[in-house]
Amino acid sequence: MTATPLFDRRTFLKASGLAFLAGLTPRGLAAMERADALFASAYRDPEGRFGIATLTEKGDLVDRALLPDRAHGLAYNAATDQIAAFARRPGTYMMILSRRGFSSPVVIKAEDGRHFYGHGCFSPDGKRLFACENDFDAGRGIVGVYDATDAFRRIGEWETHGVGPHDLSISDDGRHLIVANGGIETHPDFGRTKLNLDRMQPSLVLLDAVDGGLVEKHPLPAHLSQLSTRHVDTDGKGRIWFACQYEGARDDRPPLAGSFAPGEDIRFLVLPDEITEALGLYVGAIAINRHEGLVGLASPKGGMAVTVEAATGKVIATTSVKDAAGIAPAPTGFAVSSYAGRFREKTLDLTFDQHIAALSPSHL
Amino acid sequence: MRFLPLLASAIAGLVALPHAANAGPKAEKVLAEAVDTVIRPGYDRFEAASGMLEKAMKDLCASPSAEHKAAAETAFGDAVKAWGGIEFLRSGPALEKNRFERVLYYPDRKGIALKQVQAILSKKDESATTAEGLAGKSVGVQSLTALEFVLYGTGNEVLATEKDGHRCRFGAAIATNVHGVAGELAAAWNAPDGIAASWKKPGPENPVFRTDGEAVTELVGTMVHGLEMVREQRIEAFFSGTGADQPANPKLAILWRSGKTWDVLGANLQGMSDLWKKAHMETMLKDDQRSIASSIGFVLKSLTRETPKINPDIAAALASPEETAKIDFLLLNTKDAITRISDDYGAALGIGAGFSFSDGD
Repeated sequence: MTATPLFDRRTFLKASGLAFLAGLTPRGLAAMERADALFASAYRDPEGRFGIATLTEKGDLVDRALLPDRAHGLAYNAATDQIAAFARRPGTYMMILSRRGFSSPVVIKAEDGRHFYGHGCFSPDGKRLFACENDFDAGRGIVGVYDATDAFRRIGEWETHGVGPHDLSISDDGRHLIVANGGIETHPDFGRTKLNLDRMQPSLVLLDAVDGGLVEKHPLPAHLSQLSTRHVDTDGKGRIWFACQYEGARDDRPPLAGSFAPGEDIRFLVLPDEITEALGLYVGAIAINRHEGLVGLASPKGGMAVTVEAATGKVIATTSVKDAAGIAPAPTGFAVSSYAGRFREKTLDLTFDQHIAALSPSHL
Repeated sequence: MRFLPLLASAIAGLVALPHAANAGPKAEKVLAEAVDTVIRPGYDRFEAASGMLEKAMKDLCASPSAEHKAAAETAFGDAVKAWGGIEFLRSGPALEKNRFERVLYYPDRKGIALKQVQAILSKKDESATTAEGLAGKSVGVQSLTALEFVLYGTGNEVLATEKDGHRCRFGAAIATNVHGVAGELAAAWNAPDGIAASWKKPGPENPVFRTDGEAVTELVGTMVHGLEMVREQRIEAFFSGTGADQPANPKLAILWRSGKTWDVLGANLQGMSDLWKKAHMETMLKDDQRSIASSIGFVLKSLTRETPKINPDIAAALASPEETAKIDFLLLNTKDAITRISDDYGAALGIGAGFSFSDGD
């Protein structure tokens, strides 16, 4: 199959401008010039510092920038070529960096009584940034709304109609925010302790991306109340795919992923039991390769990445990746990272966090 | 955007870590010892101590006297220390039914639980004088922190003189409630086919751990998260260190009213030190990695030796540079212990512990 570049190198070079290129080392520049696709991931370095790295589809490091603290998920704004990094829960910062080098990094501190959950997304026009947040005293999930045209001023917040919103995405047309309410209650007073595993209510929710109104809510059925809906991505037809982490008995065999289109009920992906077991009942990241019609799942607990054909739900590949962390669509298949520093074909002296963002003008 | 120079090694295969599952029989022995020498005895001790507390409170109500009040305070201190010794384990039965909050509700940053306790006392709410009635109320009025106010808060003098008074019966109901939770925890860990068996024998049919590696990851994570609790949620709650922007606030310290802040924090640290030693966690390291273990053992021992030296009057301690230096020592060395266990020990076992513990994100 002919690879379709995720990332148009010439467009990027033109858009990046001399300010960005001047900051690159010759080695990084050479790596970028050879690249068909670029990715970003949060990392920790051997000195214990946290940052964002950009890498090629071959795993060559292009660049990196320091962050104030550990980050988890990233959001890419193709319209302005900005990357937002979100503190890992229960962190209280997010940082927005301009890859063009035209503006200084912006660090946003969480509102009093709120913390970030580690994920967010930009609106397709790049004018708004949405972040999953926790109103921890009330125990309710919140989407924080920030004005990307006004120094990321916080202009409002919307209820996610659930507890523990983790991942957040937006439909291609910018109409709907897609929220994975993991259902797990946490409070900064108790660190990362999960406070309600015996009474979880996970759900997937669509919100109106203009006014925050509830469009659809899909609670998980009662017998799957301990199936935490954690991460989402959308395919080229607007179908929403989600991945889960199971908090129930380790010898259960729950579904770990599924999908739905707006207006439809949830459909779970039926994986063979041996795959469910090999994933450790835990999917840490999900990605869609739209061009190839593939769904990618990665599990650090299982040390495995799984590729599924979206149309049929058939598993077409499994790859053993110890401490598999992030997964993102690559020109062919998926780019997978690991806590031990693996990124595709390379192993770097960095520890990658759980997610990879594909940096491209438009996703496949 | 300023990017750093490229520093990373891009040599495939440079980082090749052993997997925790490779710890094999040693891992199972460590897990068994963790259960049999630390966890189960810890819950048993707490069950016994809370039983003594319940008895002491009932004795005080039936025969109020300065002597019985002192006995109740002693029993309270013993129960606090017993709970502190096992509080670090925030998984399994302790996480169900709000048990750990029902045993020790903290922090109460907005003073809501304190107001609820004071309201029960001022209104002489009879529904709070039985364990059953109390169980239906906010967890903030059910736990040892509520009992601390009963025993040490404004108006506590009445306990030594008033027979079967409301305040005493409220306190006895709390003690009964806490004892009940302690009994549930001990029973769960002592059940032959319960969680203890799951910890000791990971396997394909195990409802908690499929592999030794999963169980060892949980064990190491327990140590790290327990130390984080002491450092970030307990000490930094009232003192963020000399020179920190956040002002010190002695009344945010856990159990400051009874002067038992360092007792419970010391018990927390001792519990984790016991887990490290009695489970022989160092045995999962290879011989040439044992220096990691000796460093961890040294830091844990230093921490447990420090807490008894600090003035239990928290307001006085925070006003004394000599005392705050000791708290700085705790902050510095808990951080050091976290790094050593998470990064050095975890990485040596190959469980990626330093970064994530795969704990749900």
